[in-house]
Amino acid sequence: MVPETHPHEIELLEYVEDELPVARRDEIATHVATCSVCAEQVQRAAAGREALRETTLLELPQGRREEILRNLPSPEPAPGGRRGFFSKQLLAGIAALLIVAALAAVLVKSGGNSGIESSAGGTAGAAEATATSGGGGVEDAQAANLFAGGSPDEVADDLQRKGFKATVQKDRVVVHGATKDQVREALADRGPGDVEVVVKNP
Amino acid sequence: MEDPDAPLVERARRGDRWAFERLVERHQSRLFTLAARTLGSADEAADAVQETFIRAWLGLPRFRGGSLFSTWLYRIGVNAAHDQRLKRRTEPLDDTREPADPQNSFHASELSSVLQEALSQLDEDYRVAVVLYDVLGCSYTEIAELTEVAEGTVKSRIFRGRSRLAELLGTRTAEE
Repeated sequence: MVPETHPHEIELLEYVEDELPVARRDEIATHVATCSVCAEQVQRAAAGREALRETTLLELPQGRREEILRNLPSPEPAPGGRRGFFSKQLLAGIAALLIVAALAAVLVKSGGNSGIESSAGGTAGAAEATATSGGGGVEDAQAANLFAGGSPDEVADDLQRKGFKATVQKDRVVVHGATKDQVREALADRGPGDVEVVVKNP
Repeated sequence: MEDPDAPLVERARRGDRWAFERLVERHQSRLFTLAARTLGSADEAADAVQETFIRAWLGLPRFRGGSLFSTWLYRIGVNAAHDQRLKRRTEPLDDTREPADPQNSFHASELSSVLQEALSQLDEDYRVAVVLYDVLGCSYTEIAELTEVAEGTVKSRIFRGRSRLAELLGTRTAEE
């Protein structure tokens, strides 16, 4: 005897996958036992599953991974995320202008060498910025400060865990009381990135 | 659901290539399997995987984390494989190249198997559904999300795909 209504194929799949509530599973089992059409469908679905599940994952051919990584283009900046090339350039330009103006003011006021000496000796970090920003390029700015992968918060947390006094200030990480070499070494395991790390060692 | 890829994705979104390389390492085999099983060619599959990672790298800044990273990546992979298939219609396959190393020979034998031949005869929608579910172990929800259809449709495709596959395998077995 063939029952009048067959279960929907979705239920037959769930039956094969053993995903049905017990009561419904038993109803369908009873139906399948007496309906040759559904029995054949269930048998095929199970056989197809077995054939597919015998396959294994395939590995990317040798050398393709390296080729993929080599051919990655420059990323687009994240909206509201990392600072892009133009903002870095703009900041470097503004910094250079401010420093030139400050130096000019000091020269005009003091009219001698003592003011410049005390200024340069008093703030090593600023002196470094003067030298690099005066060069006028992003590359120079990158040479002066360090850059690390991750978000500013992640980089600061990382450095704090390693015993540094690190804080986030305007998307940059500022480290006090350490040398650049010490900070560079501490950041070595983070990989490249564009979080700017400013080292101030009074 | 917490995304196990989230920390690396966050770094990669900011342009960190090292983090993206780790994501490539994690997902390359599954993406290649998806592409190879749906395209039936190791060369085309490798091209599709390369295209997938390039699209993902460029698209990461716009990835909002509304789904798992893997779901988002496999969606790109399915589309890249589909595009590769369309390209094939205008550029015939160059099947004269010899496999250069044992791994490629393994691919050649896997992708010329009776199962792969049967798989290649399925409608693309059914093929993608069974490969994602039965070979890669994706859930119905993930497949629905990445193929942009309802879960019921996913289940129907899996059921019909498997049934058709068994039918084709049965025919082949009877012929041999």
